[in-house]
Amino acid sequence: MDLKIQDVTFAYGEHAVLRGTTFYVPQGSFLGIIGPNGGGKTTLLKLLSRLLLPQGGCILLGGQPLAAFNRKDLARNMAVVAQDTMASYQFTVEDVVLMGRAPYLGRFQSESLADYEIVHHALAVTGCSHLRERLITELSGGERQRVMIARALAQQPKVLLLDEPTAHLDIGYQQEILDLLKHLSLSEGLTVVAVLHDLNLAAYYCQKLVLVHNGRIHASGHPSRVLTPENLEEVYGIRVLVTPHPVFGTPQVSLLPGSRRRQRKVAPPVHIIAGGGSGGELLRDLVEAGYTVTTGVLNVGDSDWEAARALAVPVVAEAPFSGISEERHKEHLAMLEQAGAVVLAEIPLGHGNLLNVEAALAAAEAGKPVFILEERGEVERDFTGGEGAKLLNAVKAKGIVIREKVGLYRALKEIFGGPLNLPAEAEPPADK
Amino acid sequence: MTVPVLLAVLAASIIMATAIGAVAIPPGVTLRIIAAKLTGLLDLEGIAANTVSIIWQLRLPRVFLGVLVGASLALAGVSFQGLLRNPLADPFTIGVSSGAATGAALAIFLRQFFGLSFPQMVPLFAFAGAFAALFFVYNLAKIGGQVPVETLLLAGVVVSSFLSAVISLLMVLAGENMQGIFFWLSGGLLMRSWPEIWFVLPYLAAGFLILISYARDLNVLLMGEEAAMSLGVNVEKTKKILLVTSSLVTAAAVSVSGMIGFVGLIIPHAVRIVTGPDHRILLPASALVGASFLVWADVVARTVLAPQEIPVGIITAFVGAPFFIYLLRKKKREIRL
Repeated sequence: MDLKIQDVTFAYGEHAVLRGTTFYVPQGSFLGIIGPNGGGKTTLLKLLSRLLLPQGGCILLGGQPLAAFNRKDLARNMAVVAQDTMASYQFTVEDVVLMGRAPYLGRFQSESLADYEIVHHALAVTGCSHLRERLITELSGGERQRVMIARALAQQPKVLLLDEPTAHLDIGYQQEILDLLKHLSLSEGLTVVAVLHDLNLAAYYCQKLVLVHNGRIHASGHPSRVLTPENLEEVYGIRVLVTPHPVFGTPQVSLLPGSRRRQRKVAPPVHIIAGGGSGGELLRDLVEAGYTVTTGVLNVGDSDWEAARALAVPVVAEAPFSGISEERHKEHLAMLEQAGAVVLAEIPLGHGNLLNVEAALAAAEAGKPVFILEERGEVERDFTGGEGAKLLNAVKAKGIVIREKVGLYRALKEIFGGPLNLPAEAEPPADK
Repeated sequence: MTVPVLLAVLAASIIMATAIGAVAIPPGVTLRIIAAKLTGLLDLEGIAANTVSIIWQLRLPRVFLGVLVGASLALAGVSFQGLLRNPLADPFTIGVSSGAATGAALAIFLRQFFGLSFPQMVPLFAFAGAFAALFFVYNLAKIGGQVPVETLLLAGVVVSSFLSAVISLLMVLAGENMQGIFFWLSGGLLMRSWPEIWFVLPYLAAGFLILISYARDLNVLLMGEEAAMSLGVNVEKTKKILLVTSSLVTAAAVSVSGMIGFVGLIIPHAVRIVTGPDHRILLPASALVGASFLVWADVVARTVLAPQEIPVGIITAFVGAPFFIYLLRKKKREIRL
């Protein structure tokens, strides 16, 4: 069964929660509703499950207006898994799942063998068979949530609505439950609509996302069209990087430092020599701390290059998969001239980037403080047959070897003075 | 399994409780008299007429009434606890019994000071009072066609305390003659006979049938009202039916026996500990246990200080409270719904 939501409006008293919402959920699809708190997600789900009635517009379930279904008929076609489940009653798991058969039973009819079979199947599918005799009050949050899904499945619905089904679960259970929902939608044609908080899980599992914000649909469609940095900045006020999933290519959202205004340190830049992901965390922390940061030479497409770009850090960039050219090296040396301190991240040494180490050596010889980060220490990272190690040792002789990033941050603070970016210091407390 | 056992226990309780009294009558003789009177097949040769009349006119009606009142209160207690999803709820929570008490107090007051009197005056006044209180609480709690559980509880508590004040006022006005009102409030089965039984029985029978037919809905309601709705239950209608039914069952019982406390609170909990929360078992089991419990409480009430009687409400509280504490500490299942 499909769901059609047409221009639905809803308000709690004067407070408008949904102002004209329209979208379509095809049969057998897995749709995720995402959006910030208070944006209307849960209200939307309650409207879909007829716990609330729309004040304008209409909702069609399988082509029929939702309002036209009688109660039991609706419960046979649509099941709901709520966000928080009360568990202050001492029913056994089997009793609870058996309640899913209530819409099929008359007032004086008791459960038949077929009903028990359906219940046992629902328990098996959700991995709850071993919990059958246990009391619902004794279960962990994850187990209870799976039991609630089993109860919903015992209703043999065509449409399943879930409000943050993975809210209190660890990553293992999150995956298990979402895998199950995905499987049901793909193999049994179950239409699944779930409110989800985790954008990456939503992108990974859902065929279609609806981004709800301020009572409106801000964007909808394939995850790659909804989860754009622009949309997420507008809706959540966050800065993110969206990259394809390394294996499946679904969009993955990574946080970037907040867009709040940082107290800029008036000081010469800190230059970071990195590559291959060795410098991303450093770049982020130093930018967050308020330093002016430069970096180079990095290949275009390198993860540190991505990081520098996302953080708006000036970078000397070389073409992808190329060794450092003479030109870029010169550019790099010129950049280093301006630096107040240099950090050599724990990069693997290959023929392609030896010039970067030479640049560090040049900076050290010019009397600049050079920090050599060696957190992993003994791990072999020279792939040049000795040449790289020799060069690195020369740098070490003139620089300072740092074993932990915090040591580096403390040393930089010594050089440039004062803690940075601490609100209490940046803005002295107002006098009373 | 549970229900047949409890039924047997109740039958045995009835016979033994009827046999016990100031004049000792062997249980065998008691059983014969009851069987003969009920079936009309046995003869009563060799049994003194006055023994027959003690059993049939004095003790048996009282025991039967204990059965009916105990069952009614326990049944209503289960229903209110499930309906209100509150373990502290009992038949007196939402003010129905306070209404009955006010009606009864008013009847006693009118009889004493204005000489107004007619048969069954106190029970009829009590029933009218209960009905008025239910009507008032229900409409107070109703918000736009719905009766939220929270407002229902609040409205019940408010109306109860208001009516308590009315009763206190009537007792003050009654002055030295307040004992009649006091005795009624303490609850008891003294001086009750067949008319009271015929008064209570229809409400209990009809109430039981209605409640048992809503047993599954009560179970589903325990999962929360929204969950119940998505499982196809008409929540508001179900709540209204359960509320009115349980209130009428309570009102009928209270009208003839006064305020017998604790039965409607502890019996459902005690039974739930053994049977679990499934109302399809909980309802009949609680009714049977409540009946047996009140029968024995009444035996104690009329024998322990004989010839003086203690109001049975005092016994139920005396026995009930420690028993409840025992259950609370002893059993694995916790005291909850």
